[in-house]
Amino acid sequence: MSEAVDAEIVDGGPPPAARRLVLGALALLLAAGLIGFDAWPLTAWRLFSLARGDRQTEWVLEAATADGSTRTLSLEDLPLRYRHAAWPMAGLPEASVARREDVCQALLEPAQDVVPGLVALSLVRDRQRLVHRGGEWVVTHDPEVVHTCAAPAAP
Amino acid sequence: MRGTGGTMTATGWRARRDDALWGPETGRRLVFVQTGLAALIGLRVALGSYRQLAGTPGPLFDPVPILAWAPSMPPAWGFVALQVLGTLAAVAAVARRRPRLAFALAWLCYLVLAGLRGSRGKVLHNDLLLLWTAVPFLLAPVAARWDERTARRDRGWPIRSAMVIAALIYFLAGYHKLRRSGLDWAIGDNVRYVMLWGPSVGAAKWDAMATWIGEHLWASQATGAFILTFELTFPIVLVKRWLQPLYALVAVALHVTTFLFLGLDYWAWACTVLLLFVDWPALLDRMRGAPAPSG
Repeated sequence: MSEAVDAEIVDGGPPPAARRLVLGALALLLAAGLIGFDAWPLTAWRLFSLARGDRQTEWVLEAATADGSTRTLSLEDLPLRYRHAAWPMAGLPEASVARREDVCQALLEPAQDVVPGLVALSLVRDRQRLVHRGGEWVVTHDPEVVHTCAAPAAP
Repeated sequence: MRGTGGTMTATGWRARRDDALWGPETGRRLVFVQTGLAALIGLRVALGSYRQLAGTPGPLFDPVPILAWAPSMPPAWGFVALQVLGTLAAVAAVARRRPRLAFALAWLCYLVLAGLRGSRGKVLHNDLLLLWTAVPFLLAPVAARWDERTARRDRGWPIRSAMVIAALIYFLAGYHKLRRSGLDWAIGDNVRYVMLWGPSVGAAKWDAMATWIGEHLWASQATGAFILTFELTFPIVLVKRWLQPLYALVAVALHVTTFLFLGLDYWAWACTVLLLFVDWPALLDRMRGAPAPSG
């Protein structure tokens, strides 16, 4: 190695525009973080911040077919663009019937791909509880249908 | 005496703050980090599952504030165009062809793509550490060279300020755990149930280990205390710089285990922390027996 190392520190520092950019970014991050608001890409950084317990609410779909049978669908069964539907669904209990119907219809098509012959789809709020029973962890369910929409009749 | 002592303390504090934010680094480290961040951005843009979001129905589309003008998700070709443009820009930045413009273009494509991914109602953090720590590099000096071994402030400020941003983000993550849930987040049943319930989106990759931690309260409490302590104390690396590689390795371990136990994709965080908080060029020099730059 012939490369000499110059230990001298040249005291330059950032140009004013860069200084403003960095300080502005830090101010925005601090404001969102300390006040606690989300306006992506600003966020409050609430990563896993709410302590979890033995109860949780999950949103699932219940597909009914012409023969009267029903099948519960997880949003994970649907294509990627539908998998975060639990967040819009969480606002449905307080939403108008029209909004509920819109969300339900939006989920109808992918649900029909998973359950051929589907005639109606229900949006279900499932209050779950995790219990230790017989040496293993078991989830108990308390489903509540929030909205049901019918599939258009086949031509 | 008090006045003099106070002045000295204030001066010392200012010097420490200035050193944390705008301190000196070598040109070779700047080139390495800038190139590494551009490569990471390029990988996120090229490999992300974006075009699968095309066709998201209107009732499920909830644009993030910076994309509030968007009436809907773009069509698949729109995502592909953004991915191609962003990837080419990242490649140009890595190759140091018009690096400032290329880096900015790659960053902008990444911001829009990540924003679209987060326009489905849930606040997503997966890309935010990389996006925010890349901000100082939008104006970073482009004349730096790999053979610059002199530690200079005009080479160091993008790295140092990105470190401050990263440290702040980790701290805020810990702060909100305390604010919303108190110490119970760490020493209560929280981590036990996080492990037992598993992820709300996706699937765990190492379910058996997650269940084991959930079933052993001491293990889940130790995990919680460790995570909370790590996040809240992260800013200490800004003044105790010898701790930086250790915290970087702990962060990597945290993000890898988050992926294994909860199936959540935080590899961009792990790589960003490794890039920023380990002085790879100096490490390379040490391995080759060259003297390390001081400063």
